[in-house]
This record gives sequence, C-alpha cells and structure tokens, in this order.
Amino acid sequence: MVFIAIVIGCLIGILLGINAPMISYTYSSYLAIAVIAALDTVFGGIASVINKKFDLKIFISGFFGNAILAILLTMLGEKLNVDIYLAAIVVFVWRMFLNLGTIRRYYVEKWTSKISKSKENKQDSK
Amino acid sequence: MNKKLISLCLGLMCMALTFGICVQIKTVNNSNSKISQNYEENQLRAEVLKYKEKYDNKFRDLENAEKTLEKERENVTANNEELTKVEENIKKGNKVIGLTEVTGQGVTITLNDSQNLSKVLNISDAVVHDVDVLAVINELKNAGAEAISINDQRLVPTTGIICGGNVIDVNGEKVGAPFIIKAIGLPEQLAALERPGGYLNLLKEKYSIVAELKREKSVTIPKFNGVINYKYVQNAK
Repeated sequence: MVFIAIVIGCLIGILLGINAPMISYTYSSYLAIAVIAALDTVFGGIASVINKKFDLKIFISGFFGNAILAILLTMLGEKLNVDIYLAAIVVFVWRMFLNLGTIRRYYVEKWTSKISKSKENKQDSK
Repeated sequence: MNKKLISLCLGLMCMALTFGICVQIKTVNNSNSKISQNYEENQLRAEVLKYKEKYDNKFRDLENAEKTLEKERENVTANNEELTKVEENIKKGNKVIGLTEVTGQGVTITLNDSQNLSKVLNISDAVVHDVDVLAVINELKNAGAEAISINDQRLVPTTGIICGGNVIDVNGEKVGAPFIIKAIGLPEQLAALERPGGYLNLLKEKYSIVAELKREKSVTIPKFNGVINYKYVQNAK
C-alpha cells in the first residue's frame, strides 16, 4: 500500500517535473539542497513506517523544516563564503544511509524468515 | 484509515521530491555554468589522454610491424641482385624524403624566448615566432643542410611551419619553446648562420632571444612519423 503510493507519487512528480518551467541557475543550488533534504525525510518516513513509529506531524514538519533550514544554511554560507551546504549534504546522506540500513534489515529479516518457514512447511509435508 | 493517510502523505512527498529532482536536472542540463564547464573540460581532457595512450600503443605496434617488414624484405631480396638494387633505391628515396632515421655531422641550433624581459619593450618581440623558425630553416637549407628536424619533428617536403598560438605547428604537431633545430650537413658551412648580420645574429642582438649554434660531430634526426599523401601528383609522360 505504502509502496504503491510512493511509486504513483514518483510517476506523477516526474510527469509534472518534465512539464515544469526551468528555474534560473542562481536558485538551482538551493533547490538541490532542498531535494537532498526531502530525500532524507522520505527515507526517514519509510523507516519510521517500518518501525511503526510514524507520526504525520513530525514527518511533515521534518520535510519542510529540513528543506528550509538547508536552504537558509546554503544562503548563509554563500554570504559568508563558506560551503556550509557540504555539511548539510554530509548529514543528510549519512542519515539516508542509516535509514536505508533499517529498511534493508527489516526486509532481509522478513525474507529469510519466509524462506525458512517455507522450508519447514516442505519438510512437514514430506 | 491511518495507513491510507500515511501512504497518501508519503506519495505526496515523493511527488514533490521527484518534481524537484526533474526541475533540477533540467536546469543543470540547460545551464552553461562554470562548474559544469570545468567538469566537461576535465572529461574531455581525460578522453584526450585516453586516446593518446591508445595512439601510443598503436604506434608501438606499427613500429614493430615495420621492423618485421624490413627484416622480411631483407630476407627476400638477399639473393636477387635486381631486387637488391630496387631495395637500395627505395632506401635512398626514403632517406631523402625523411622516412628513415638518419645520422651525420651537422649543427644544433637552440632558439628560446628571451630570458631578460627588461630589455624588450614589446612582449611579442621576446618570443620565438613561427617566422623566426622559418627564416632559420631557410638559411639552413641555403647553407646546404640535408636533413632538418625541429624538436624531433622531421622536415619533409609536405611540412608546414605555422603559428599555433603560443606554440608553433610543425607537421601538424604542436612544438613549443625552446626550439632545438638539428641539421645534418657540413658543419663549417652550416655554422655560417652565425655570421654578423645573419638571422641568428639579428635575433640575438635586436630581440635578445636565445639563439645558439653548436657544431656537432654526430647528429641523429628521427624519421617522419606521419604519412605522405600524394593525391594529385602524377608522372608526366
């Protein structure tokens, strides 16, 4: 259910994105960092769904909060001539990997338990 | 109900995410930013290096193949007097048009950009130009040079010497300062290029360009690496 929704959402997003107008290059670095933040939040959301700790308010506030904070940090970095966005990217990607690890562990465990169960079933039937 | 809400929310977020990614990709593809230009330049440079390596490998193969060809030819023509004569003629011809490595007594001329920039007003006067090299080559030929090379680029009948920015272009290869011009001929005659009023003297005195001529007992000049294509020349009857 969740994954069907994700796939449909991705498809609609791609369709919309292809037909959307271009933004000027000045803002593209902000959009990039916002995209990374959003990606992190989505991974976090999926992981929390798996852990059954999903909270809609936290999810939505994380989505917008992370993106806006990342954009603000990038702007600040530009003003100070420090590449702060690199730090933001490192944090986001790190968290992405952590969340991906959670998701992976969940599904690998599910899969292995399924396989062992089916083996047991076969042995029982024999 | 809760599950529906969750999936709806995640779907919406994914939509926003992919939308952002698509817009970003479109923008980056369309812009000619400095960053992407740098990236492209690096890519192109890497490609050039790759091709150069490939070229070098092929060139080595070609050289080996030529060596075997030579051996085969010698083996075949060893017993036949007529063929030996033809072979000798071919060798003589190759020597003249620059397809074999040659050695003999001669001179080496070094042309380098001026080391003392305080002496010249115009920076253009301080560098060795294609015309300077051309004039020196012309004088060498006039003095009876039989084989000439510029930084190991053999001069053949089809060679052109042209300006290529801050380097010069010889045989289509880029050649930069210092230019070491090797010439085979009678050293005493070739050394006449040093005479007062000669071109080397002019370069040295007027433009403070480094122009040195050295007499050598033995100069080795490499062969021409390219292919001489004669498409339009035909034997006149």
